[in-house]
Parts: sequence; C-alpha cells; structure tokens
Amino acid sequence: MLRLGLAALGFWAATAVAAPHQHEPPVVLAPGYAELEFEPPAVGSYLLPTMGDAADGAVLGTDGKAGRLHDFIGGKASVLSFIFTTCNDVNGCPLATYVMSGVQNAVLQDPLLADQVRLVSFSFDPELDTPPALGRYGDQFRKDDFDWVFLTTASQGELQPTLEAYDQWVIRDYDADGNYLGTMSHVLRVYLIDADRRIRNIYSTSFLHADTVVNDLRTLLTP
Amino acid sequence: MKAVIGMLAALVALAAPAAWADETCMSPYMAKIVGQEDYVYIWTLGMEGVGDGEDKLVTVDVNPDSDSYGQVIHSLSVGGRNEAHHSGLTDDRRYLWASGLDTSKIFIFDIHTDPAKPRIHREIDDFVAKTGGIVGPHTNYALPGRMLITGLSNNRDHGGRTGMAEYTNDGDFITSVWMPTDDNLQGAVKSGNYADGYGYDARALPRRNVLVTSSFTGWNNYMMNLGKMMGDPEAMKRFGNTVVIWDLHARTPKKVLDVPGAPLELRCAWGSRSNYCFTTTALTSKIWLIYEDEAGEWNAKAVADIGDASKIPLPVDISISADDNHLWVNTWNDGKVRLFDISDPHAPEQVFEERIGEQINMVSQSWDGERVYFTSSLLANWDKTGSQDGSDVQYFKLFNWDGESLSPQFSLDFVEMGLGSPHQMRFGAHALYGAPKAKMDHDAMAAR
Repeated sequence: MLRLGLAALGFWAATAVAAPHQHEPPVVLAPGYAELEFEPPAVGSYLLPTMGDAADGAVLGTDGKAGRLHDFIGGKASVLSFIFTTCNDVNGCPLATYVMSGVQNAVLQDPLLADQVRLVSFSFDPELDTPPALGRYGDQFRKDDFDWVFLTTASQGELQPTLEAYDQWVIRDYDADGNYLGTMSHVLRVYLIDADRRIRNIYSTSFLHADTVVNDLRTLLTP
Repeated sequence: MKAVIGMLAALVALAAPAAWADETCMSPYMAKIVGQEDYVYIWTLGMEGVGDGEDKLVTVDVNPDSDSYGQVIHSLSVGGRNEAHHSGLTDDRRYLWASGLDTSKIFIFDIHTDPAKPRIHREIDDFVAKTGGIVGPHTNYALPGRMLITGLSNNRDHGGRTGMAEYTNDGDFITSVWMPTDDNLQGAVKSGNYADGYGYDARALPRRNVLVTSSFTGWNNYMMNLGKMMGDPEAMKRFGNTVVIWDLHARTPKKVLDVPGAPLELRCAWGSRSNYCFTTTALTSKIWLIYEDEAGEWNAKAVADIGDASKIPLPVDISISADDNHLWVNTWNDGKVRLFDISDPHAPEQVFEERIGEQINMVSQSWDGERVYFTSSLLANWDKTGSQDGSDVQYFKLFNWDGESLSPQFSLDFVEMGLGSPHQMRFGAHALYGAPKAKMDHDAMAAR
C-alpha cells in the first residue's frame, strides 16, 4: 500500500499527513479502467504540438544486451511508460500496463496503425527488474510478436539521467530508520512519441485511457 | 513515519468520491495536501517605498507544531515589479509558477529541493513573443506534464482579446490558442450575444473532457487607476461577458456562453457525477452556475446574488469545499467573506457573513475546510492605500472554521513587515517530497 504515494498523482491523489483516525476506504479505480465517459475529438481535428525531443539513455533489453533508448523509439510512433514490475498501486504502473494492453488490442485491429506503433515499457527499478524478470513480466502482456519492448537498465547510475530527462520523479520509500522499503513513489507518466522522436503528448493517471491514446495515435499517423 | 502516513492519505482522497480533494482550487491532475500544510507561499506584489519594493515570493510557516508558526520564514525578491498576481503549481508540485500581469514575466520557483526556502528555477521573459502577442499571463494551471497559462490581454491594442499558452513543466513554450471571437469563432457555437475573446481563469473537468474559461479585462484597464477607470464609460464597457466551454483534449472552443459582468474565478465541483462549475461576476455581483444538462449541453445561469449589487461589493476570489456543499465568496469593496450553501447548485443560499478586513481578495481553504486563509490586494493601481478604521490594508490572515464561525489564529501586516501586497496563496508540505519536516535535511536529501 505504501507504494501508492505519488504514483497516484493526477488522480485527485493526496500526499501529506493524514489524520490518524482516518480509515482506509477502497481504492477508486482510475478512469483508464472504465469506458471513456466522452466521445474523443474527431481523429485529425486537433493538433498534438511537439513538447520537445524524447531523450536518449542507456538501456538493457530483456535479452540482457546493452543498447540505447533511441534504438527503440523513432521510426514508428511509440508509447513509452515508466513502470516497475513489483508496483502494486492499481492506479500507477498496473494502470499503465493495462492501458498499453488496450492500445495493443486496438492496434492489432486497425490496419492504419499496424506496423506503425511500438509500445515501450521502461523499468525504473534496475535492482529487481533484471532482464529475465522483466522478460517474464512482458510475456504476460505482449501478444505474439507484437512490437512491445520491455527495457531496464544496469544500475541506478545508468537509469537516473533518463528519469531526469523525462521529468520522471521517483522517491524510494524509506522507513524511519532509513532502511529502503523496496517501494517507490512516483508520478505516473506515459509519453506519446512520434517517429522523429519528439514528445507529442503526456498522459497521467486521470487522463490515461486506451481510447484517448489510440485517438492520438490515429491523429498522429493519419496522412 | 509521517511521510509514510502521508502516502496513506492518498488512499483517502482517492476513495472518497463525494469529497475529491479541494485544497481550495487545485488542478484535478495534481496531488493534494489533505492534512496539515506546512507552508503557505504568497505571491506578493512589490509596493514602492515598502521594503525593497520588489515582487516577491513570501513563505509563511503555518504548521502549528512548528516553533516558527505564524511567521514569515523566507522571502525571495525577483527584481522589480511585474504586477504580481496569480500563481500555480505543476502537476508534480515540484515547481510554483508565478506570473506578472504588467511585464508578462513568469517566474518558476523550485519548491521541492527545500520547501522552506523556494529558489528561482527559471524566468520566462519572452512570453509575449513566444505566444504571438498574448499579454498578462494570469492563471498558471497544471495539465499532465505541462502548464496552461491564460492571458488577459494582447500586444496589439492592450485590450481584452487574448489567448492561452501551454508550456512544458520545464518552462519551454509548446503552443498558444486565441479565445473565440465574433470574427473567428474557431468552430465554436455562439449561444448568446457575446463572443468577446476575453480571458481570465481556466478549470478542467477531465472526466467530461471539458475546459472552462472566464473573462475579465485588458491591460489598458487593469493597469489604470481604479477611480479613473470607473469614471470612464468607455473603459467600463471593456469587460468580459463570456464563459467558453472547450474540448479539453483538442483545446478547441465548443461553445461561448453569455455571462455578463466580468466572470472571474472558476471552481468546478469535485463529485464524480457533478458536471458543473461556479463563477462570480465582478460587476453584477452574482454567482453563476456553468453546468451540463441532461442532454449534454453546457449552459450558464445566474443562481444567486452576492450582497447588494447596487453597492458594488465586487466579488473576487471564491473557494469551493471538498464536498461541493459550500462556496466561500470574498467581496473586495466591503471587505467581507460570505459562505453559500451550494448543496443545490441551482439555488445557493447564503449561510454566513463576516468582515475580514479592507480589500479582502484571495481565499484558500485546507482540504478539510478547517483552516481558511485570506489575503488582501487586487491590483497595484486599484488597491486602497488606507483603511477607514486604521487597520492594515495588506495582510495575510488565518482563521479556523468550525462550521459555524471563523476564529482568528494570526494576522500578518505585509506593509509593516516591509513585504508588499499579498496576493495568491499556495500550500506546501514536506511530506509531498517524501520526508516529514523534521527529517527533511537528512532522509529526503539522501533519498534524492
């Protein structure tokens, strides 16, 4: 439960000192788990102005080979999410992967998007998310040979510049004695990146929905 | 372990569908402080002859457990006067954006490295050029990974036609859009008599994919002496009369609603089925409801009077309670705060009234509604220089609210303290950044 923290940022989340008598009601699921409550704007009727260049950084594939993030974004439209596999905040990393799965399903059914979209799940826990561990995680979600890659890094030192470049703020949780709890608080951010490696949208918990992401992909890829 | 307790607080906010966090009026994309705030950051307008005369960000310790409770613990001047007005936090609450209506400068403060000592992170001084002529950045509003900045004016005639701009959280310009006008409705439906293109505040209802904007007046008016302006019939015609409903995702205007009399602050309900927002009109002293009807159409209607409109109480800031049941309304001219029961949003009823002080302007309440903060100051050329009863005219005050009465906790005279004219307040807490206050210097910095 401690992992919720800032992962829930953007979904009316709260961080601060709670009154001690407050009980813990059930978690309300983020909108991304339900039907979209509105009709998205028509594909191509709006702009997705660039928000800057998508940064590069060192990565490890699930096969353990070292590479660069730019090897996996660019050339296609990409949806990039930062996750860690042991995250149990339902409105954090699991939401991101759930929505990515929904995007995968939509792309598989849309000839326009087929072969033009890549999904990238990037771990920010190099200690626990080793290449084999991340590979096992990815196998649960990736369909057949769909272009969904799972990336990790060799160390915190390699990871940190990438996190900073993507404004992906992560706090490792410590107990009162300074011991790492093995959990992290973070702002959920999912990035839409075009074939030229430019950021075209950023989604957070209250905004992230497969229909919205697919609508943006179609807008991006419609000639 | 306070920080850990803080994480649990997130659950509370997430799971209370009838009480989405209001910590006065924050973006729904942002974390909220649901417990005791540690600091209030006050974007303060510099006054000639008062202290260094510069605009500044003033930090007040408001945690009653602190030795410096009720005291100014930090002040950061930004150089010169810019008509400091509104400020807003990024979605991750790491940065506070504070803008100047005169110079169109935006100052980005780092409030996470040391929440007790904000520091300048970046200054944007080319807002007008980058945005294609928008003047007077007003509302600094968090969207996912970016900031939305509403304008008040333009660089062609310095009137009220204006637009909105978007920046990355790092302060890089993304895009701008102009408000719909009769000349260019940009596909919007003009539902009444006006499509004036004016701007002021903005609020999002992500669940309905709706962005709502309001309208005030241009640089020519807000930088003019108040008495001179009110004696100028032509100037008095140049106030906004519209609220615009936008497609939030597309950032395209959908419908222009008539809301005559300068609709200012917008506050949207937090309830999971509450598809409405409130605004108040400065010149006609009314509460307006902006709402989606059962057919999915957005409408505007006046739902209550605020005081006696003939005496021009001049409603300014408003604050909706976390449970959507109450709305605080400040009126600048008579120095009063009024509380309206808005449990029926179509029929608000005033349930409380008290005079707080001369030229009361902004109001911010804690998430639980138990603490209500007030500041004075509207605009440099509109503010009063003295009070009828000799009381201070530029202040920051804290009251506790028990549901029936306001009880004063402390009051700071910003002129006497050499600070200036206090305007917008934003809350800060160490727990936001993973550390309780007492341990901040150690654990939090190590964790970073």
